[in-house]
Amino acid sequence: MSEPRSDTTAELSVEHVGKNFDTRGTTIRVLDDVSFSVKRGEFFVIVGPSGCGKSTLLRIIQGLETLNDGVITLAGRPLLGPSADRGFVFQQDSLYPWRTVLQNVLFGLEIMGKANSETTGRAMSLIELVGLKGFEHHYPRELSGGMRQRVNLARALAIDPQMLLMDEPFAALDALTRETMQQELLRIAAAANKTVVFITHQIDEAVLLADRVLVLSARPGRVVETIPIDLPRPRSLATKRSQEFQGLVDRIWNLVSAKPQVETV
Amino acid sequence: MTPQLPAYGKSQPRFRLPSAFAWLQRRTTRRTIISVVVVMAAWEITGRFIVTNSLFFAPLSSVIGAAFTLWHSGELQKDIIASFSAVVYGMALAIVIGIVIGVLSGASRGFREYTDAFVTGLYATPLVAVAPILILWFGIGIASKIAVVFLMAVFPILISTAAGIRNTDASYIEVARSFGASRLQIIRKVMIPAAVPFVITGIRLAIGRAIVGVVVGELFGARAGLGFLIFTSGQTFDVPSLFLGVLILALAGVALTSGMKWIENRVAGGRRVEMDN
Repeated sequence: MSEPRSDTTAELSVEHVGKNFDTRGTTIRVLDDVSFSVKRGEFFVIVGPSGCGKSTLLRIIQGLETLNDGVITLAGRPLLGPSADRGFVFQQDSLYPWRTVLQNVLFGLEIMGKANSETTGRAMSLIELVGLKGFEHHYPRELSGGMRQRVNLARALAIDPQMLLMDEPFAALDALTRETMQQELLRIAAAANKTVVFITHQIDEAVLLADRVLVLSARPGRVVETIPIDLPRPRSLATKRSQEFQGLVDRIWNLVSAKPQVETV
Repeated sequence: MTPQLPAYGKSQPRFRLPSAFAWLQRRTTRRTIISVVVVMAAWEITGRFIVTNSLFFAPLSSVIGAAFTLWHSGELQKDIIASFSAVVYGMALAIVIGIVIGVLSGASRGFREYTDAFVTGLYATPLVAVAPILILWFGIGIASKIAVVFLMAVFPILISTAAGIRNTDASYIEVARSFGASRLQIIRKVMIPAAVPFVITGIRLAIGRAIVGVVVGELFGARAGLGFLIFTSGQTFDVPSLFLGVLILALAGVALTSGMKWIENRVAGGRRVEMDN
């Protein structure tokens, strides 16, 4: 199980992963035979109808949930639990209201016993990177939803992970803020040079951000197809108006809604 | 130009006071002051013209007179200090032990299940009833008063703290877990700071009970204290001194509780809660 994988460029390799949930005596299969791999530096987006298990998949990769079948390896090593090589960005910003922006960003480093003057300096420059310079000593309640989500991102980046796992981070934002944050994420991910696994149920968001899009079926989640997105970078709002973009969105839309018992997203 | 509309629900002051007295301009403050002045006047009039028998009632002016007399003899200070120190020591003990047991009971299901029956039972028991036995055990000095105050005050703090720990937002815990936090780290860095507003509410509720505790303790046997003052004044038909004791207790209760309310509001705002580091 711990033998090195043949594909040495694979940062994350998910093989034949299955997951069951036991509720009220019945077992529900949420993920079935899911396999894919993510290359170093790649922006990998998973889409699927609600309830297809995409969030569960991401939580398994982070080590917040266990899996029932299959193997996950990170840079050739088997997954053991949460560690400094992965940073998780939650859908709800879940910032600690008793901590300032800076203290929130430093939280992960404190947990890992790495909070010192050097990492504090790095946290300050991350706050600048996400565009919140001058807000270091503000409390979350003094920030807007978009700003809080920026802090959330900076908190995940502060432990300097190789990989960012993002669970519908912009779902709770209004349309305008969401568009801004998508552009910001593209800029930050490029600047910080991170591998990103991003979950969304918004297909245009997936196409705008991704190098590749993985389509999961409705429950139990299975891989339908992986689509490479070879739109030129940097991508802007103009990209969204191109015909190629629309073509990709339509193609993925058809894949997501192809299944017989699909929920309209 | 938009016309300046009067702010809704705010009275427009008819005249300007110097800024040092600006607080008088607030309607709530004004109404509180008016009600206090009216009651004080009614008290004085009742004592002077309606219930003139000094065995049953005393006007406010004789209560204030009693305050001066007792202050000059040094007795009032002694009583206030005796009661106040019993409350302070008993509360301090109750806060420390209430928080420790509250955190344990909130964070550990096993601990909670073993202790819950006793905590609920003792909280419901009128603990002033055990004051006589505490006086037998600890004597008529301050120790027995501290014990009564502690017993009265510890349960609201304990129960409130445990509720705060248990009500910690699940997403706060998830974030800590995503960084690989241990159980102890989750308790220390997430649950305890998240429970702070609950702890403060518990302390506020405990203050009222602590004051009841010290007075009851002093009624059953003491050498000094406001309860002792009330008891001895009652024995000697010294109604002004009796009222004075009650009045000081009421003022102390109002002051301490509103002080805690103020802290509570600041903490609930989430602005200046520094837990560790």
